[in-house]
Amino acid sequence: MTLSARPVGRHEAGIAQQFGTLARTAGPPIVAAIVMVSLWEGICHLFDIAPYIVPAPTRIWAAFVSKPGSLLFNGGVTFVEAVSGFVIGSVLGALLGTAFAYSRLLARGLLPYIIAANTIPVVAIAPIIILWFGHGMQSKIAVTAFLSFFPLALNMMKGLQSYDRVVMDVFHVSAASEWQRFFKMRLPNALPYVFVGLKLNVTFSVIGAIVAEFVQADKGLGFVIMTTYRTLNMPRLWAAMLLSAIIGILFFALIAWIEKRTIPWHSSMREDH
Amino acid sequence: MTAGIALAPLVELSDVSVTYDIPMQQSVVEALQGVDLAIARGSFTSLIGPSGCGKSTLLRVVADLIEPTTGRVLIEGQTPASARRARQIGFVFQEPALLEWRSVLDNVALPLELQGLGRAKRQAEAGRLIDLVGLSGFEAVWPSQLSGGMKQRASIARALSTSPHVMLMDEPFGALDQITRDRMNLELVRVFEQTGITVLFVTHSIREAVFLSDNVIVMSPRPGRIVRNIEVDLPRPRSLLVRDSRTFGELVRIGARELEQGYDA
Repeated sequence: MTLSARPVGRHEAGIAQQFGTLARTAGPPIVAAIVMVSLWEGICHLFDIAPYIVPAPTRIWAAFVSKPGSLLFNGGVTFVEAVSGFVIGSVLGALLGTAFAYSRLLARGLLPYIIAANTIPVVAIAPIIILWFGHGMQSKIAVTAFLSFFPLALNMMKGLQSYDRVVMDVFHVSAASEWQRFFKMRLPNALPYVFVGLKLNVTFSVIGAIVAEFVQADKGLGFVIMTTYRTLNMPRLWAAMLLSAIIGILFFALIAWIEKRTIPWHSSMREDH
Repeated sequence: MTAGIALAPLVELSDVSVTYDIPMQQSVVEALQGVDLAIARGSFTSLIGPSGCGKSTLLRVVADLIEPTTGRVLIEGQTPASARRARQIGFVFQEPALLEWRSVLDNVALPLELQGLGRAKRQAEAGRLIDLVGLSGFEAVWPSQLSGGMKQRASIARALSTSPHVMLMDEPFGALDQITRDRMNLELVRVFEQTGITVLFVTHSIREAVFLSDNVIVMSPRPGRIVRNIEVDLPRPRSLLVRDSRTFGELVRIGARELEQGYDA
C-alpha cells in the first residue's frame, strides 16, 4: 500500500522533458539512418558500382526530384488502395470473427476453410480477383481486403473468447444484458488482439495493393515498379520501392498511435520495459 | 407485522443439494448434501470447512450462479434469480476481477452503470464507497497500478455499489499476506458495522471466521454438510484486541476441533 496516487494518461512532463523523450526514442534510428546512407553512398562511389545494380542514394533522390509529382501521385493511389482494402477487409473480418466467437457451430464448420483460404498465395489469387472486379482501383482494393480479412477474423474471435470467467460472473451477478456483456466487457477485452490483427494488416495491405498492381494497373507504385523495371530505370524503381516502404511505415505509425490512445491500460503499452 | 419481518431470515436454504456430472469419468460428485441454513438480517455468517467441502458452491447457489439439484433457496422470499435481477446480491470473488481498462472509479461504478444510473449519480455513489473502503485518492488509477489488497478493496466497494441486501464473499482475502489480511479484516468489520449489511463469508481460516462473524458454520468434507453452527458472542464494534480475549481463543479452539473431526470422518 505504498503506491502514491499518480495521474493516469496525462504526463505532467514539461516541454523540455517531452523533447528529451523524443530525442531518446527518435535519436538512435535517425543516427543509424545517417550512418547507413553515408556508408551506402560511399561504397557506391568507392567501388564504382553500376547504378542499375545498386544506385547511390543521391541518384535515387535525383530520380525522385526529377518528377516528384508523378511518384507522389502513384504513391497516393497505392496508399488509397491499401487503406480502403484495409478498412473493408478488417471490418468484414471483425464481423465474421464476432460470429465465430458467438457460434461454436459456425466456427467449427467454417474455420478450417477460412484457414485454408488464408494459405492461398496472394499472387495466385490476385489475377482471379482482378478478373472479377475489373480494371480500376476497386479490384486492387478487393485484393487488399482479401488479405486483411483473415488476421482480423482470427484475432477478433480469439479476443472475444479470451475473457476472464470471474469477470463474466461479476457481470452475471450484476444482471448485465447480453449487449452490456459484449460492449462493456468482451469487446474492450478483445481490443489488444484486434490491434495485433490491424498491425499485421498494415503490412499485408501495402503488399496486397502493390501485388495487385503488378498483375494489372495503369497507375500506382506497383505499376511504376513494373514499368521502370522493363526500361531498367533502376534509380526510379528504387525511389518507388522506398516510397512504398515509407507509406507502410506511416500507416503503421498511425495504427500504433491509435492503439496507444485506445488501450493505454494494456501491459503492452507500458513504457517501462 | 414489522417484528415478524425482522425475525424472518434474509436468506433461507432448505434441503439444498448440488451434484455435478463429470462426463470424463462418468461419475457424479456430490458437492452439497441436504443443507438447511437460515441467515438473519444484518448478521455476519462465515462458512468454514476443508477444501472441496462445497462452501463456494453454496455461495454460488445463493447468487444464482448455479442451480441447486434439489431443495430451495429464498432471499427475502424471492428466488435467487429474481433477487439477482433486482440487484440485491453483491458478490466478492477470491480474485478482484476488475476490468483493467477502467479506472478504479469506473470499476466501482460498473454495477450502477449496468443498472442504467446516470454518470454523475453513479460516480458520486462510487466515490462515497471508495472513501468507505479507504481508497480515497486512487479514483483515477488503473487496477494494474494497485496492490493486491487495494484491488480487493475496490472489488468490495463495487459489490456494495447497488446497496445489495446480502453480500456474498468467497475467500476474498485468501491471496493476501497475513498482515494485509488482518488489516482487511479490520476494515471489513468496520464496513459491516457501518452499513448493517448481511454478509455470508467463505474462508479457510477459523481465526478470521471468529473475528468477523456472528455465526460460524462448520462444514464437513465432500459431500458438504453443515456439522455445527457456532455462535460468536463477542462485543461489537470489534478491534484486533478482541483476538486476545479468552472467549476468542475458546471459540477458535472449538472451531478447530470441529474441523479436525470433519477430516477424520
